[in-house]
Amino acid sequence: MKYALFLGCKIPSRLPAYEASTRAVLAHLGVTLVDLEFNCCGYPARDVSRDAFVVAAARNLTLAERAGLDLLTPCSCCFGTLRHAIRFLDEDAPLRARVAQALAAEDLSWSGKAEVEHLLPLLARRVGAAALVTAVRTPRTGLRVAAQYGCHTLRPSNVSRFDNPLAPTTFETLIRATGATPVDWPRRLDCCGDPLHEANAPLSAHMTRTKIADALASGAEVLCTACPHCHLRFDAAQADSSEPTIRTLLYTQLLGLALGLPAGSLGL
Amino acid sequence: MSTMLLQTALDVSLVLCVLGLVWRVSAWFRVRIGPDARDVTLSQRVAALLHGAGAVLASRRIFDVLRACFLDVLLLRRLFANEKLRWLAHLLIVVGFVLLLLMHALAAVVTEKLFQGYQPTLAPYVFLRNLFGAIVFIGVALLLVGRRRRRTDLAQVRRPIDAAFVALLGFVLVTGFLLEADKIASPRAFYRMTEQFVGSTDPEKLEPLRALWASEFGVVFDDLKQPIDPRLIETGRELHRDACAPCHTQPASAFVSYPVARMLAPAIGVLDQGRADVWLLYLHAFACFLGLASLPFTLFFHVVSAPISLLVNGAAPNRASSAQEHSAAARASRRALALAACVRCGICDAHCSVAPLARYFGNPGLLPAHKLVASGEFAGGRLLRSRNEQDGLRYEALRAAEAAFLCTDCGRCTSVCPVGLDLEDLWQAGRGDFAAAGLPAPAQWVRERAALAWAESLEADLVQSRASEADATLAPLSADRRSFSRCVQCQTCTNVCPVVAHSMHSDHGVDLTPQKVMNLLRLGLRDLTLGSRMVWDCATCYQCQEHCPEGVRVADIMCELRALAVRRLGAVRGVREAA
Repeated sequence: MKYALFLGCKIPSRLPAYEASTRAVLAHLGVTLVDLEFNCCGYPARDVSRDAFVVAAARNLTLAERAGLDLLTPCSCCFGTLRHAIRFLDEDAPLRARVAQALAAEDLSWSGKAEVEHLLPLLARRVGAAALVTAVRTPRTGLRVAAQYGCHTLRPSNVSRFDNPLAPTTFETLIRATGATPVDWPRRLDCCGDPLHEANAPLSAHMTRTKIADALASGAEVLCTACPHCHLRFDAAQADSSEPTIRTLLYTQLLGLALGLPAGSLGL
Repeated sequence: MSTMLLQTALDVSLVLCVLGLVWRVSAWFRVRIGPDARDVTLSQRVAALLHGAGAVLASRRIFDVLRACFLDVLLLRRLFANEKLRWLAHLLIVVGFVLLLLMHALAAVVTEKLFQGYQPTLAPYVFLRNLFGAIVFIGVALLLVGRRRRRTDLAQVRRPIDAAFVALLGFVLVTGFLLEADKIASPRAFYRMTEQFVGSTDPEKLEPLRALWASEFGVVFDDLKQPIDPRLIETGRELHRDACAPCHTQPASAFVSYPVARMLAPAIGVLDQGRADVWLLYLHAFACFLGLASLPFTLFFHVVSAPISLLVNGAAPNRASSAQEHSAAARASRRALALAACVRCGICDAHCSVAPLARYFGNPGLLPAHKLVASGEFAGGRLLRSRNEQDGLRYEALRAAEAAFLCTDCGRCTSVCPVGLDLEDLWQAGRGDFAAAGLPAPAQWVRERAALAWAESLEADLVQSRASEADATLAPLSADRRSFSRCVQCQTCTNVCPVVAHSMHSDHGVDLTPQKVMNLLRLGLRDLTLGSRMVWDCATCYQCQEHCPEGVRVADIMCELRALAVRRLGAVRGVREAA
């Protein structure tokens, strides 16, 4: 298995531990990662111009396509954005023409060969939960973990094609593979609040705190994430709060520990 | 007379240079970027510098600074990591220039003190001067080659004054080589010397010496009998040994100037008559003095600012310099230093994550080097005063603000910057300044009015209310009835919306619900939705879209409406700004 690793903007600068743990875990599991110089996925431009966001996304898809690879991203928002761009390109011929014109300035052209995959489905389906169970050396037995799915990995399901959007099980299966116990918590499919942080900080903070309180009330010891936006939002909300806190752990860190990888290689 | 003139010119240039340096360095303590820098006083900033320097000197971080001094400042490690060719070019220029400066320009203060019997016309100095000059020349050539190779369609930040300075550097080199070549070939220079050291300018009497100097030292005499008698040369060699040899070796080792001297030979009579040696010396010296005096005001001020930036970066690495770790005073000075230390190399632009957006929007203001320049203009008050004839007051500032808020803080610019600037901090500060000046992100300025007030101002603005064709491109779903006409107003979207749910428990309420937004579209009242809190507080979690029993793409439409609002409400806002 070989993918072009699409880290996006947040991970390298704000959450290098996610990059380190992703690389460590995937190398251990025999997934080869190739580094290309991608640009922004297009997510921040979506509120300014649909064309601009699709151009940015299509440029990334084209770079991967030129290298003959599919993209793998650990970021839920990059995943959703790139998948959305493919959908818009597929359904809108005039848009496709405008994007082709924009990319032609750099001698690039998009043909739709490159697929986009998120880390969770890759681990659950391509690598397979069974293979993970076999690879685990130090199971996290007894650890109660709340899975934070991340909206853009899940929804809209006809774009993400990830799992049952109303009752997903993928993340819980992956947690179980590490030996830990997934916790059922009512707000597990809710938004973390991060997209609203710039626009409406109080509302965003309210959403984040509600989720944390719910995870704690459900008996979770760890809030497990698979998106830098969710992860950083939870950490930021708990950094300056007097309310009870919960430990956040990236899924790649949880898995890495279970695989017996050194904590240092996982950014811990 | 001429010595006095040159000495005076040198003194004046030195004074101007020192004054310029003081002015530029003082800016590091004066210029304010970022809201947190506004209330910091000059004395606080000086104190922060002394405190920071003291803390570094007294801790183990001094070793980090020494390491940075060696690896980053001397060996240019950060440039090497990104651009090998430019690194080589830069290193050649620095090495050649510094050696020329020490051995040649500062000969009286350096070389003469270190090496007994130094004469610029003796070996190995003749050769070394040519070597150092050639090294600089090759460096400049490589720099230009690299620049051509890197040419992109993205606009680059360049100033004419910086190009002029490079031209000046080239001029100093060329006049230096020409001056040396002229002196080698010139009979006039020959007679000036013999008058002093042989006591004669009589061509007949000097015939043997002339024969030697014509055949072995490159002097061009037009009245010498050809072919030259070898015995005459040998006679000349004796005279030479006594009078000339202490100060002169054969100039053939001047591997640039000597061939140039051969080329000048046919014209040497004219050059001598026109006193080429005098005016070439003046051109060479005055070009150097002009460079010295203008250094603080051009890009080449980076010989001072860039090493300091690299040392600061060594003491407090960028990634760690988050808001909490350093005082507002320290951050303010570091940002001001960044404006002076940026060498406009454009490496950041080449790696910028949002470069495709800059290209798409035709707004180079998104690119780091451009943003840095805008930061300087904002701090100097020029950006807010700028007027674009067609688009009115503050147009440039509006464009710069639009660009600033599209930065994704990916940090690539910071990590590739060869002079170690903490650019992420600079961008954050810049956004704070824009917001404080009434130019915040769209999600903020749209809150200045209620949805109804925005809709009314759109109605009053005929141009904006007619812009429907562009809207279909920008927001195709909301322009097409089929995408929302199936809505049966069942309220499922509203019931699953976390924003609606959370706003019911707080005082940050939304004005509409998703289902009402869809209904306004159905009624053809799209303008009423553009400034709506619901549209702008949508978290794009896609619960609504996922749950809609009719398959209406509610969240996708919300995104479109925001993009449409940025353009249409932004235009209304721009008109107000212009007024």
